[in-house]
Amino acid sequence: MSAAEQKIVRPLVSIVTICWNRKAEICESLSRIREIDYPNLEVIVVDNASTDGTPETLEAEFPEVKLIKMFKNIGIEAYNIGFKNVKGEYIVILDDDSFPAKDAVAKMVDKFTRDAELGVVAFDVRNYYNYDEVKKAEASEADAAQQETAAAAENYLMAFNGAGAGVRRELLEQVGFYPEEFFLYWNEQDTAFRILNAGYQIKFFSDVVSYHKYSPQNRTSWRAPYYYTRNAFWLIWKNYPLDMALLLTLKLIYACFYYAMEQRTFIYLKAMGAAFFQIKQLKGKRRPVAREIARKLRIPFYVAFTFYR
Amino acid sequence: MKELLIIRSASFQQLDKNLVMIRERFPDHKLSLLTHEHGVLLAQKYKDIDQIYVYPYTESFAYRRKVRELQKKEFETVIIPVTNLSGAGFVNVFLFSLTLQAKKRFVCNVISELREISRTQILLMGLGNKLFSFFSFLCTMMVGFLTVLLLPLMLVQIESKERK
Repeated sequence: MSAAEQKIVRPLVSIVTICWNRKAEICESLSRIREIDYPNLEVIVVDNASTDGTPETLEAEFPEVKLIKMFKNIGIEAYNIGFKNVKGEYIVILDDDSFPAKDAVAKMVDKFTRDAELGVVAFDVRNYYNYDEVKKAEASEADAAQQETAAAAENYLMAFNGAGAGVRRELLEQVGFYPEEFFLYWNEQDTAFRILNAGYQIKFFSDVVSYHKYSPQNRTSWRAPYYYTRNAFWLIWKNYPLDMALLLTLKLIYACFYYAMEQRTFIYLKAMGAAFFQIKQLKGKRRPVAREIARKLRIPFYVAFTFYR
Repeated sequence: MKELLIIRSASFQQLDKNLVMIRERFPDHKLSLLTHEHGVLLAQKYKDIDQIYVYPYTESFAYRRKVRELQKKEFETVIIPVTNLSGAGFVNVFLFSLTLQAKKRFVCNVISELREISRTQILLMGLGNKLFSFFSFLCTMMVGFLTVLLLPLMLVQIESKERK
């Protein structure tokens, strides 16, 4: 089959990523994206007003990429700009320093085609620096059809990782894009609530891999503890039924005090204050999900308290 | 052969990095991994890991959530990966490690530094934990009173007008 014929047979997949002053990382990711073995791809990069020459380099070296330039850093809202501009039936969401394995997009499309209730294919996100040491799933294409590669749990549900996930475009449009008020972190979990509540499934697949330049340095600033903590409150307030929201809020308040003492920092209390005082940003956005979803979706809230030191 | 257990308290991305150092430091150990159920299939990709144990709870590792299957097993070494430099925020995992029979325990931090941690150090952390818990409880009671009164009203105000 010719390349042109394959394009017609295989549905269009849109890769969406954002970047901000990480020219080397985004360029490397885009180079890797060029190696993806899938005939019908579009790539959209939303630049959050980088000042390190990223837009100019992308325009010069990656002309096939659709570049959208923001006038300031708008955080994760930039993804939503990308989502609004996609034409593909499926969207692959990536970080600026992550990229899918060569066969990941084709495998993702196969999973979606086989299961109409599958809303998100969550990639197995692996460390880029250990690219060769992680043993890849050895199943052949034919075996993969028979072999169960979905990494699921019996009694609980999982969200997905924004460094590698595929989602149906129509579903994302139906449930709404990322919560722009979050600015950073927990956006995938908020979206996961709405996708699950719409009756779709989110599944991790061990044979659909993406690689991420996992960088500890990025998480040692005030940003991670602050936004993780503030947004944990907002995640609760937006999505949980009232009684569960109350109980979880009290637990989170307790955790803020506890970890403030343990780590001798005010950052968690500041973030807690911000959650309460900036609650107007959530106006009209609270949509409690079904109790079953709220009970079953596993949200590791306490991860917020593990980045500071 | 000496047995080593890694408690998967960090992401697979971090574990990918940590595992290289763990293998270097403990070349003569048989490696096992304890992970939540959703991680089993993903953990099976490691050719270095001989055995995977399932943590049979949805919640995080905690002293009160013991793994019966592991309580009679004897490990030479238990590794606790932490996602920062110091291990702050992981006291629950340190305390959980006390439910396992191990001669030595090591913290493996985000940059793959391995640091031995004694039973006494963990118990002292546990003591600090009690103290912080007490004061946190008092503070939560004070703030919580207002929260219980006001939060329901605040949540009504941010409710979406759209009906499904």
